[in-house]
Amino acid sequence: MIGKYEIEIYNNRIHYFLTIKRNITILQGNSATGKTELIRLIADREENGESSGITIKSEAPCTVLTTVDWEIRLDNLNKYIIFIDESASFIKTEQFAKRVRGSDNYFVIITRDDLPQLPYSIEEILGLKNVSSSSKYKSYKRIYNETYKLYNLEQDKKSIFDTVITEDTNAGYECFDLIYDNCISAGGKSKIYNTIRQNLKRHMLVIVDGAAFGSEISKVYRYIQVNNIDCVIYAPESFEYLILSAKIVDISLDMLENTYMYADSTRYMSWEEFYTSILVDLSRDSVFRYSKSKLPESYKSDNVVNRIISMLPYYIR
Amino acid sequence: MLKIHFGEIDSKNYIFNPDSFFNNTYEDEWITETLSVEMIRDVDKSEVIGPRVIDSPFLGSIPTERLSGGVKTLILMSKDQDHIFNASACGDNCAKWILQIANDLDQQGQDLHIRLGYLMNFGDEEFDIEIENVGIIVHNNAKLAEVVLDNELI
Repeated sequence: MIGKYEIEIYNNRIHYFLTIKRNITILQGNSATGKTELIRLIADREENGESSGITIKSEAPCTVLTTVDWEIRLDNLNKYIIFIDESASFIKTEQFAKRVRGSDNYFVIITRDDLPQLPYSIEEILGLKNVSSSSKYKSYKRIYNETYKLYNLEQDKKSIFDTVITEDTNAGYECFDLIYDNCISAGGKSKIYNTIRQNLKRHMLVIVDGAAFGSEISKVYRYIQVNNIDCVIYAPESFEYLILSAKIVDISLDMLENTYMYADSTRYMSWEEFYTSILVDLSRDSVFRYSKSKLPESYKSDNVVNRIISMLPYYIR
Repeated sequence: MLKIHFGEIDSKNYIFNPDSFFNNTYEDEWITETLSVEMIRDVDKSEVIGPRVIDSPFLGSIPTERLSGGVKTLILMSKDQDHIFNASACGDNCAKWILQIANDLDQQGQDLHIRLGYLMNFGDEEFDIEIENVGIIVHNNAKLAEVVLDNELI
């Protein structure tokens, strides 16, 4: 499944606006923000159709997957946006992760627990907020709910750091090691926390692949926050996304700006996988033939490294 | 004391889905008790009209079964000490009430046992929480996060 879906779900009291553009979206946040009510509306509409009094505007059909016969139902769904409430006990299982991989559906999962078996993006961890008081909706009687990004990692001033920790082990690490002094590889996303712990006396910049770091961000972010750790997190989609953005190989801008139109969920579990695959394909017959396991020499020239640096946000250059 | 089991739990009295459990076990008198009324007002921004009717500013007049999963879990924690409830059904805005329920139970010589799968924000005040998996008592969010993550409990 590809595409970006603007969804409206409403009855006479409550109105939801959602934008879903990746195969996995996580909804979390405070209690009583309307997450379960959203699921209830979709299920009611599904069960009772027009006579429910609920309207769903969406280019892709929406459905609710519950614990009952979830495997059989899921195996028979195609090109649906599937909503799953936190009461579904299967979301943490390997069987579910296996079925998400290659699925021709998008999943919207309500959960506060991390789902480490699924590679979801930091960008798609969303909360719901009541926007009824905004000028756009002030004159209406309904309650209007929109999604917002729970993790905004952007900085507004230049960061000072003396140690750089990368999630990447091989090519990504080698490149950042050329850009920064004192660069350490954590050796994978689940080891970021421990590596931060080992460098607490340092001023840290942590570079992770945002497209698949979703299951780790709440722990790492919360630890940094409550302990006042001197640490900035930079989360581009992936290292390969940076290379593609730097135009080291020829790629259409549309593919980067509207990735949701290309990253087919049946082939790619995450956009991280998509960017890697595209970079490998596009560079295959060139001097920039890319390998994730080792940064090719052609990527180490000043010209290429400077182009990658130019893609970094100003606060970490 | 508040005793939290982080991560997965294998216990016969563990309730994974407190929302459903509440709907099928709550007693009318639980809803009109002062603590429940206050929790419903604070978390759900709703008023208790009677044991079976809640006035929600968002949803109108609703039955008790349509309270938020968070507030249902809080009410269960305050009324049912025979079970361990999944506090991941509660958001950060329930944390102060969990601490208060634990405190109230403490004064009656009882502990509050819950399960959590994420790092809830228990606020800036000092507290007493035992992380049951490792038997360590912590008094602030910083130490709580450190013990939970160092021991890879979630």
